[in-house]
Amino acid sequence: MENLDAARLQMAFTLIFHIVFACVGMVMPFFMVVAHKKWLNTRNPIYLTLTKSWQKGVAIFFVTGAVSGTALSFELGLLWPEFMKHAGPIIGMPFSLEGAAFFVEAIALGFYLYGWNKIPEKFHWITGIIVGISGVASGILVVSANGWMNAPSGFDYINGEFLNIDPIKALFNPAWFTQALHMTLAAFTATGFAVAGVHAYQIFKKRNIELHKKAFKIAITFGAIAAILQPLSGDLSAKDIAERQPVKLAAMEAHYDTSTGAPLYIGGIVNNETQEVSYKIEIPKALSFLAFGDFDAEVKGLNDFPKDEHPNVAIVHYAFQTMVGIGTLLMLAGILFLITLSRKRTWFNSPKFWLLFIILAPMGFIALEAGWIVTEVGRQPWIIHHIMKTKDAVTPVPGIVYSFYMYVVLYSILTIAVTWLMSRQIKALNNTKNMEA
Amino acid sequence: MIYVVLFFLAFSLVLYVLLAGADFGAGIVELFSSKENQAITKKTVYRVMGPVWEANHIWIIIMIVILWVAFPIYYNILVVSLHIPLTLMLLGITLRGVAFVFRHYDAYKDKSQVLYDWMFKTASLVTPIFLGITFGAIISGEIIHTISITDYNFKELYIDSWFNIFSILTGLFFASLCAFLSAVLLIGEAASINRKIYVKKATIATLVVVTIGSLTMLYGYFNQVPFVLTFTSNVYAIIAIILSALFLIPLWISIRGGHRILSRIFAGIQVLLILVAALTPHFPNILFTTQGSISILQGVAPESVIHTLGITLLIGGGVILPGLFHLLKSFKMIKILERN
Repeated sequence: MENLDAARLQMAFTLIFHIVFACVGMVMPFFMVVAHKKWLNTRNPIYLTLTKSWQKGVAIFFVTGAVSGTALSFELGLLWPEFMKHAGPIIGMPFSLEGAAFFVEAIALGFYLYGWNKIPEKFHWITGIIVGISGVASGILVVSANGWMNAPSGFDYINGEFLNIDPIKALFNPAWFTQALHMTLAAFTATGFAVAGVHAYQIFKKRNIELHKKAFKIAITFGAIAAILQPLSGDLSAKDIAERQPVKLAAMEAHYDTSTGAPLYIGGIVNNETQEVSYKIEIPKALSFLAFGDFDAEVKGLNDFPKDEHPNVAIVHYAFQTMVGIGTLLMLAGILFLITLSRKRTWFNSPKFWLLFIILAPMGFIALEAGWIVTEVGRQPWIIHHIMKTKDAVTPVPGIVYSFYMYVVLYSILTIAVTWLMSRQIKALNNTKNMEA
Repeated sequence: MIYVVLFFLAFSLVLYVLLAGADFGAGIVELFSSKENQAITKKTVYRVMGPVWEANHIWIIIMIVILWVAFPIYYNILVVSLHIPLTLMLLGITLRGVAFVFRHYDAYKDKSQVLYDWMFKTASLVTPIFLGITFGAIISGEIIHTISITDYNFKELYIDSWFNIFSILTGLFFASLCAFLSAVLLIGEAASINRKIYVKKATIATLVVVTIGSLTMLYGYFNQVPFVLTFTSNVYAIIAIILSALFLIPLWISIRGGHRILSRIFAGIQVLLILVAALTPHFPNILFTTQGSISILQGVAPESVIHTLGITLLIGGGVILPGLFHLLKSFKMIKILERN
């Protein structure tokens, strides 16, 4: 395997892993503080039990996210030294702020985890809120750094040199808002459905139903609202990409020839040689409308760009279809849940209802990872859009493939270990009686 | 502003060595303890470190971010030449981090604890060794910094720079320093009936640190390691070394006497003196290659970057440090702050 491929695989693999842990660690504190608030308001011991078991989940996911994040902060330099040499100072702002936010999160989490019956109740609860807010802030800042790679700004590129650096302009690059919004909603959707799915399974198995129903409701409420809002954010992203990265949009839709009133392809199998997409569903003029808000707008095709600037069309197209398909499904499920609420809970007694949410549990994360594949593979061959190619940034150290193998083994074991640990948490939760106040 | 940035870099380094060092050391102390003492150490460490544990390890992220933002050229040489020890260090940090949480957060305390404990203790020893090796490599003068990398083979470029006796000695030195810090910390934190255990451990650790430290310096001196040579001809370094040697006496007495506060203060002084002696004589040339030393300020980021970074660090520090102190105080983690 070539060094470049190995480095890209390692980066992709470690990011895919980190994203799951970081998202859960970022969103679950919100579920936790809602349950905590309900305990404070109602003094119903079930909520206390739930809060304490969720906080253990938060602690485990936070640390796994933190160590994989520490590894990533090194990997940026270890794998892409040329990129960091030039980009490091420019995107230093989001990273140093992220470091600070992460620090605040760690301190607040220290207060929260160890603060039971030691610090004033209200202050204790607020530290939980701080954990959540600083976690989301960290996420947004890191995404802003990624946004800069898609929409480099805050410097002048003259004769191969990065001059007149403006770190604040780089932080607020044109892509930061759409990407951060989309990612934050995705994190809430994915975590909401995943956590809800786990509790749905317990209800389905008729274990400690009262507690798991309360847990399900809190998690799915966040997930459902985020899933319903997500298409709006997706629309903003699509319009933004149509303008800034037309090649990426063309790859997402496997759109080869420039045309006006371009149709939208749903599904289909891409043949990059013949430039054909077979077995697709075609919606006339929809692509033009989605990208530019005008049914007759011109949408640039891949053939308008040099071949060596194309990303891997098939991967980007499939990933995009997966993301949108699952996103739609989750939005519908979110609406279903809200309808259930108004239907006076009769559906809550149906095993089919719980089965549906069990099946949906991993879907949010699949869509979220697919979305990252769209944005990251779709950015290729550039590491800094139109400035630096990925192949020029990779480390000269040979044998990266072995480091890749090491991470595959390490993170696979970690994933299994964390899953096992979580199942033990739930088992313990079902076996203990609810805490006394 | 560059001084603010350098200050935060040095500040993060000192705190990382002290806090994460004591934390790594806890695993090492546990590793070299009898079964009964292991349980005591595990419990005490968890009480002392638990709430701040994660925060202690963020200092290295702050250091890395400062390095790449403000000193990109310097950082670039490190990540390319020292790819292997840094990756191994990350492996250690990862395993150690998860082992720490697993052993305290697993819902059932059963046989799996044996595995977590083993993972935690081993990683606690290996990680600081690789951290020390990395630092040793930076100052050993074996790093090849060249544009024509094709003139050298893999071993010369990516192995010899760190897999040499001086770097490995530095690695062992750092690991023993961690164990020393932890043992001293535990003197003050352990319940009074257990204090004797840590007095003994701290005594042994002090002897080990001094022995390995002297060995490292002697080896460097007789093998013409450039860092050690300029080091021994520098006034500040010599003063720091003499002071360090003199302070060994009160340190020894305070450890033997089981003084909870004094032992800690004198241990901290030792670490500070070691860092001062290691970093100031050469500053800003804190990277020794086969072709001579390289300044950390070479290719420093432009003023606009340093300026925003400095302000960010000041604001961040203003938020984080009081929070951190409040955290330490709230949980009475620093027992010596208590009146009785």
